[in-house]
Order: sequence, then C-alpha cells, then structure tokens
Amino acid sequence: MEQRLANTWQMTVNERKFIEMALAADLRVDDRGPFDYRPCTITFGRHVFLSPPFHSSLIYLCAGGSSEVQLGETRVMSYVTSQLVQPYRDRPNEGTLSIFTEFSPMADPAFEAGRPGEFAIELGRIVDRGLRESGAVDMESLCVVVGKLVWSIRVDLHILDNGGNLIDAANIAALASLLTFRRPECTLGGDDNHELIIHDIEDREPLPLIIHHLPVAVTFAVFGEGNIMVIDPSYKEESVMGGRMTITMNSNGDICAVQKAGIGISSSVIIRCLEICAVKAAEITSKINHAMESFNDGRSIQYPNFHPVDVAIQDNLPDVIMDKKQIENLIGHLAALPLDALDRNSNKSGAVVVGTNTRAKFENNQARDGVPFYSPSNWDPYPRKLCSRLARSSLKLSGLPEDVEEDKVNTTQSVTVECGLEHTKGASSSRALETPSEYTTVEATSQYIKAPKTLKDAVKIQNRKMRK
Amino acid sequence: MNSMPSDSASMSFVDRVVVPGDHVLDLTGMANQTIKLGAGLRQDGDAISVMKAGKLRISKPNKYWVESSHKRYVPCVEDTVLGIVVDSKFDNFLVDIKAPMLGLLPVLAFEGGTRRNIPKFEIGTLLYVRVVKANNTMNPELSCMDETGKAAEFGPLKDGYMFETSTGLARMLLSSPPCPILESLGKSLSYEIAIGLNGRVWVNAASPSTVILVSNAIMNSEFLSAAQQKIMVEKLMKRLQ
Repeated sequence: MEQRLANTWQMTVNERKFIEMALAADLRVDDRGPFDYRPCTITFGRHVFLSPPFHSSLIYLCAGGSSEVQLGETRVMSYVTSQLVQPYRDRPNEGTLSIFTEFSPMADPAFEAGRPGEFAIELGRIVDRGLRESGAVDMESLCVVVGKLVWSIRVDLHILDNGGNLIDAANIAALASLLTFRRPECTLGGDDNHELIIHDIEDREPLPLIIHHLPVAVTFAVFGEGNIMVIDPSYKEESVMGGRMTITMNSNGDICAVQKAGIGISSSVIIRCLEICAVKAAEITSKINHAMESFNDGRSIQYPNFHPVDVAIQDNLPDVIMDKKQIENLIGHLAALPLDALDRNSNKSGAVVVGTNTRAKFENNQARDGVPFYSPSNWDPYPRKLCSRLARSSLKLSGLPEDVEEDKVNTTQSVTVECGLEHTKGASSSRALETPSEYTTVEATSQYIKAPKTLKDAVKIQNRKMRK
Repeated sequence: MNSMPSDSASMSFVDRVVVPGDHVLDLTGMANQTIKLGAGLRQDGDAISVMKAGKLRISKPNKYWVESSHKRYVPCVEDTVLGIVVDSKFDNFLVDIKAPMLGLLPVLAFEGGTRRNIPKFEIGTLLYVRVVKANNTMNPELSCMDETGKAAEFGPLKDGYMFETSTGLARMLLSSPPCPILESLGKSLSYEIAIGLNGRVWVNAASPSTVILVSNAIMNSEFLSAAQQKIMVEKLMKRLQ
C-alpha cells in the first residue's frame, strides 16, 4: 500500500488553489492563452510492405498506416492494419472499422496493464464515433465480394506519455495513420473472370482508404461553476478541472460527435465553445494536411527506388488466386484462429513490420544516407512456414469483368484520397492547400508504373499469360 | 605538490562530463595522500574510475565526486527538500519526497512539539523539511527542525505554486553566488522562492501573473548559460511593459 502511495503522483493544495485562482484571472499556468493549443508535431512511420505469400499468416499487412503525435508532453501512437473478413449479415457490402486503445503503464502511473479502464474505453469510443458515424471512412469501397469478403480496418491507439488531453492527440494520430494507410489491391480476373486476385505489392500500387472528411476532436476543460473553459488541458489542469467536453467537428463546420462529462455547463457557453471549435478544427485539419503533404512528397521521392532489385526471386510467385472452395476454407481458417494469431505482436514492434525470418536480408540494404531502406525484393520469398496450401488456390465466382492489364493503369488513377477540404474558414493558418494530396499520390503511382522494366519482367508476364 | 603530473591529468577531467568507465585519477604517482571519493566514483586498483554519468567536481584539497541531474531524487543526509504529505499515522507523517520510498516525518519533530500540540496536516500539504537519516534500505527520516531544535523556516508552505524540475536545476538554483536567473528576476520582480534538492520548487508572489512568469522562466533556464539567462529575463520584462 505504501509503495503504491510512493509511486502515484500527488497534487498539492497550493497548486490546486493557485490554478483555480489563476484561471479566474484568465491566466494559465504554462503561459498559454485559454484557447491555445500546445505545439503539435505529427510524424509518420516507415512504409514496409508485406505480401501474402511472404507472411506465414493470412493477414495482408500493408504496414504503412502508422503515425505518432506529440501534443506538448502528450505522446500517442496509432497503427492501422487490415484483414479480409466476412461482412456482417445486415451489411453485406460494407467493410468494418474498429478502434482499440492501449493505455501503457509507462504513460502514467495511474494506468494499469491488462483490461482497459473506464477512460480507455471512453477514449476509444469517442474516436470511434467521430470516424464511423460521421461516415468519414468510406465503407463500401472496402467491399471485395458482396456478402463474402470485405476489408476490416483496425486502428490501434497506443498511449506513450500522458501529458493531458489524450483524446485530441489520439484522434489526430488515428486520422493521420488512416490517411497514410495503404492496402493491397484486389481485382477479379483470372481464367473465367471468376477469380479473386490479391495483387503483389510490386505489381499493383497499394490503395489508400477513401476518406471523405477529417473529424477533429477539440477538448474543453471546465472550471469553477461551469463558466471558465480552456482548450487542451495539461496534466495539472485535468486534475483540477470540474468537467470536460469534447466536440468532434470537421473543417466544414459539421458537428460529428459531442461528449460531455462532469459539472453542468449552460447552453450559451456550449454555443460559444462550438464556435471556437469550428476555428480550431480548421486549424488542426490544415496542420494534418500539411504534414501529409510533406510526407507524401518524401514518399514519392522514395518510390523511384522502389523497383525490384532482384526480380528473379519474384518470378516464381504468382499473384494469389483462390477458388470458391478455398476461400471458404480461408474464412473458416480465419474464424478458427485465436485472436492472438492475428500477429498483433508483429504490429507492436513499431512502424516497421518485419517477418522474423526475413530480417537477415535487411542488413545489407542501406539507402544513400545510411538509413536502411527495406526493399521487399530482398526478402526471402520462401520463409520456413509458407502456407502453400492456401497460396495456390483459385476462386470461382459469379460473373465479374476481368481485364487485368488495362485495369492496372485505370484503377490506380481512380484512387483518390479526399482528405479534408481545401478551404479553411477564417482560420489563422496561412498555409492554404494548393496541391491536394490526391495529386501527389497519383504522381507517385505513375512514377512507379514508369519504372524501368527488365527482361525478367517480360518473363513474369509470360507466366501470368500461361496461367490464363 | 610532488604529484603535479598526475594532478594535471586529473585536472583535465574536473568540471567536464564523464561517463561510466572513465579513469579520472591515476594513483600510482600519489603516495601517502588521502583522497575522499564521493558519489559516482570508485577505486579500481590503481585508478579511480567513474560509475555514474555526470560532471566531475573537486573540492580542494582532496574531495572528488560526480554530479548528475535526474528526475528522481536519492535521499542524502542534511539535504533540504520539499515534501507532500500523503498520509498521517499515529507517530509519523508519510511524506512524498520524490525518492524511491516515502519519507517519515515524526509528529514530534517540530519546534516545541509535544503530544498535545501535534500539527494537523491535510493530504496534499507542501512542507519544507530536512533529511535526517537516509539509507537505501529504510524509509528516509525527515524533520522540521534544524540541528539545534529551532524551526528555522521549516514547516508548511502557504499559497504559492509548486512545480517539479530535475535535481540538476535545483542545485544550480541553490548555488552560492546566486544563480543569474534568480538575480535578474529579482531585480524587477519581488517574489518568494523555496527550492528543494529533490527537484521541487515553490514560488509565491503578490499576483498570479508574476508567479507564472517566474516559474516558466526558471523551467526554461535549465540549459541556458548565464548570459542567455539574463537575455531571456530582459525579453520577458520588455514583454510585460
């Protein structure tokens, strides 16, 4: 008991009285204005792509969607993965989105390992409501085969350091990682137009999610008798506050969700908070878009290197083609897998997801400035545990057009990321969006298509033709 | 003295950052001398080697130690620290001093303290106390009296604002020619300050804005040189006017 007391954080009577007194005089202890956010930095994880035959599990990890947000002292990391699953019965043509939170004890002595506490569940619910119920992520585009296979997107939020206002930071992290997430492309093709082909990363550029708008959460802390509000409370302010209100809004001014806890607030104060929130949401949206742009620019510079160094290894690996019977086996197999086998462990190693049996190859692969660049072509394509049984099946389905070669160019160009809106209403940010990120994505794609082909590529195409 | 060559070798390490494994003093040339080793130093046969990362300090003629800065505090006897009351028992107050274990403050360790006039501290009271016993196996023992038994400024602190810093910054604030930041702030503002060697600092002033200004200035001054600290304070003063 005594050890517990020694390890918990204590607040003095002096601090409590002082913070309340200062707020009554409109002063915040860290010298911010009442409606100022702390400095926010968004960083993205490295992109490492894993194709199905390379991975012993059947989860198609397109490990690009990871971001870390630092809001003052608060740090939150978000990680997005996807998996093919059976859709819900009442929504056979929609994918699914789920949010999971991890409150690590290293973030705050009050967090305990194991079951998520009440606040962890609340935070997950707020982020989930903002994304799902406002329709921010397009679910219908995640459908692969109606009633049988859809993509299930999973967002994991890891709290690394609790410096106050976890909700806003977690929301920004979730948005940033969803924007940079890419999943493998699946088309229907093959012998008699009834095969589902899940393409290799080298063949087809992986696709981003379709995001219609960015719901941004803005948290207000309430003090006194419900008349003093501040934005973005720090850790000490959170310990002293009487209540909290989180408004999730997009830069269009649409309210996506509202969550309120604690002492009562009058309606006039709430209206005022909504007005302030509109301005703040626009600012944060432009910040996220700005970070995305610089990240995409960096990525399109990276992509010219992204061509197979040793294509010979790739030749023997066709795209995954599955027949109906084996797709049903796949679904049964997935259902039978315990949740742990969903390789969450490999996700947790941070932004870079690497199969353990391929690690040896990476050491030799250094990019110009000594930063390791993980080119997938150097991976051992036949790890010890290859599920060839399922990697060599084909799917027969009812009529859907084939046309693999033509689709290659069309589908990639039709992919757009509609992230946020270009206009920032009366926001103080001077960084207007000149080039929406969708153009940079397409540019990167076309750069990839134009990568120099070698003789081995010709051999590969022949393989595919023989299969038909 | 006659060991100047090896002294000059160790002089090169004094006041410089050392890391564990460094040999800072060669004892072969120094016979019939006593050298006192403080924290972070160890005798390795014929040489003195460093165990903790930090700055090597010397107090003439023969005391050496390594000074480092941490977020947590290791209790030492005769240190003055700021503690927060966590619980009160029959004969002790349990006080948190940012150490691995809670400190024990006997209820009678006050000037003129008897069983009849035990002070009542609520949970969360900030106290300025002195460490009387410190052992890494036992809870450190504290006292609100100095050695002679007088109160001497120890006891509860009223009002004001407390913030936490590293132990290195707290030592810098307590250094003997007063720290430049405190001096330059004192020239234009009037404030009261209590600094604990465990990294806790308490500031009080007439208006809340002064307190906020002083506390933020101190927190930002940790890695600034003396000149930079003065410049920062001047800029803050200009902003006020």
